[in-house]
Amino acid sequence: MRLILKITIIYLLISFVVFLLGGIITFEVINREVDLEEQRFLRERLSSVSNMIERRDLDKPFKRDKISIEPLTKGKETEIVFSDTLVMHATLQRMEPHVKLDVVREINNKFYKISLYDLIVEEDDIAEGVQESLIKMYVLLTVVVLILSGLTSLWLLKPFNKTLGLIKDFSLQQKVNEEFPKSNTTEFDKLNRFLNDMTLKMKRDYQIMKEFTENAAHEMQTPISIANGKLEMLINSDNITDEQSAMIASAQNSLRRLSKLNEALSLLTKIDNQEFEKRDEVNISTALERQIYDFEELINLKSIALKKKIEGNVKVNIDQVLCGIMITNLLQNAIRHNVESGELSIVLSKKSLKITNTGEPLTVSPQELFDRFKKGNQSKQSLGLGLAIVKKICDVNDFTIEYTYDQNRHRIEIIF
Amino acid sequence: MKLLLVEDHDELANNISGYLAKEGYVVETVLGQQRAISKLTGFDYDVVLLDLMLPDGSGMDVLEYIKSHYPDIGVLIISAKNALDDKVKGLELGADDYLPKPFHLSELNARVKAIYRRRQMSGHSKMVFNEITIDTVTIEVVVCDTTLDLTRKEYELLLFLLVNKNRVLTKQSIAEHLWGDYMDAMDSFDFVYQHIKNLRKKITAAGGKDYIQTMYGSGYKFNSNL
Repeated sequence: MRLILKITIIYLLISFVVFLLGGIITFEVINREVDLEEQRFLRERLSSVSNMIERRDLDKPFKRDKISIEPLTKGKETEIVFSDTLVMHATLQRMEPHVKLDVVREINNKFYKISLYDLIVEEDDIAEGVQESLIKMYVLLTVVVLILSGLTSLWLLKPFNKTLGLIKDFSLQQKVNEEFPKSNTTEFDKLNRFLNDMTLKMKRDYQIMKEFTENAAHEMQTPISIANGKLEMLINSDNITDEQSAMIASAQNSLRRLSKLNEALSLLTKIDNQEFEKRDEVNISTALERQIYDFEELINLKSIALKKKIEGNVKVNIDQVLCGIMITNLLQNAIRHNVESGELSIVLSKKSLKITNTGEPLTVSPQELFDRFKKGNQSKQSLGLGLAIVKKICDVNDFTIEYTYDQNRHRIEIIF
Repeated sequence: MKLLLVEDHDELANNISGYLAKEGYVVETVLGQQRAISKLTGFDYDVVLLDLMLPDGSGMDVLEYIKSHYPDIGVLIISAKNALDDKVKGLELGADDYLPKPFHLSELNARVKAIYRRRQMSGHSKMVFNEITIDTVTIEVVVCDTTLDLTRKEYELLLFLLVNKNRVLTKQSIAEHLWGDYMDAMDSFDFVYQHIKNLRKKITAAGGKDYIQTMYGSGYKFNSNL
């Protein structure tokens, strides 16, 4: 729900309570005023009735509509007493509530009991009137507030929406930083200033981290190179026994693994850092054919029967470099974990790429297959990062990757 | 052959110049961009080995300088930056080859010789060793006047061995030379053994000597002192 709508609804709820209380107060006030007014009216009538009695020197009961005078033989003057009563209404011919004034007055040394009636405005009528006017006002208020809040929010929230747009378009990759603009609304201005500081800091940190990872990866290659070179010179020096040279070769092997590991990890970091955001329209059919050609010798060396069904001109939006790495890792995986005289089937369609290969069953659960350093079988040369890289590439390109194992066949399918 | 090595890591520079000096090359080492350019203006070199990350600037600038002033000098980039961008840019600027760190010195040696051969193609397209003659243009190997029927990989293997003769080549360095990054698809170096075996057979069948010596546990050596 939009913020402005929420605020409006809360405002309307509060107004509802206020209107309710206001209605009661209005009702009370009107009621009181009406009562006072009627009493004043009756008092005025009383003085004119008194005048009449004095003029006429009344000595027998006098009864008219809303007036009743009764001469008393004896008595004493009383205070004016108001009371409510039901009286037959002459024209309406039904009982109607009236206000009644009772008093005993001494006029010309005679006592009269005077009762005056007046039709009162009923409380129901007042309540109805108050209710009706308040409901109409409330409806008017609701309509006006809703319309105006909609209109003002467009104008009021314009800087906020602009900020949102900028945040949405924000990318750490951007070289130029689009500034969050100044605003004359204090809160938005604060927000924008805060965002400016934050994005600047994020970019700086990101840059530092990126440079660090890259430099660390590069710097590591040089000492590996040096150690490797020393070992190469050592193996060529005189008087090296076979045993010693085997140890040197094995050390070199480990160095190579270290360097490959380093490369693979820095590649994963680079993908994580979205350094491959470029989307080229890559013809995956030709890329795949080319790589299969490159791998053909290795496939033959392991006497693997290759079956391929590659649809021509399948285009996928992906960074060219990543596409190459993905295919290499998949083929490499399917060959390395294949068995001698095994099978390898590669099927590419517009929808997906399916690579099926024979092989030993997994020793880890299929869910863990794409995790880093999880190896399906403890193949010595394997780094355990190949499929993690494939998975990451699929993730950043919104491809789905599925693994199934059936009848000694591993199948990896990438759905574009 | 005279080489200029532009590399700021002392130890690495020592390795390279030590290894290549044994091949009979003259190797001069400079640590930075400025020194490299002043050396280039004063002396003649056949091949420059260029690191891209130098303390006083990028090796790319040296490459541009070489290509604009001395287009005849071969350039091999050796870089820790195994970034595709750098590789493409380097080759576009006219570098002859690109070798990412870490590398085997035997591989470096083979690449340097290949550059040298290509640059000197006119007269030196044939490598001759005793009864073995390799024509690097037609990719033909002749042993005792018999042309060998070699596969592309066997040819490359022989060339790699011969270029690094009397050096121990580990199975790993051979596999990396023959299959590059694709070697990761294999579990063992048995394939290297297969190729060596076939190559040996073909050479001896043509009447050549069995120069390829097995170093148990480590690799092979082309022994010219038989």
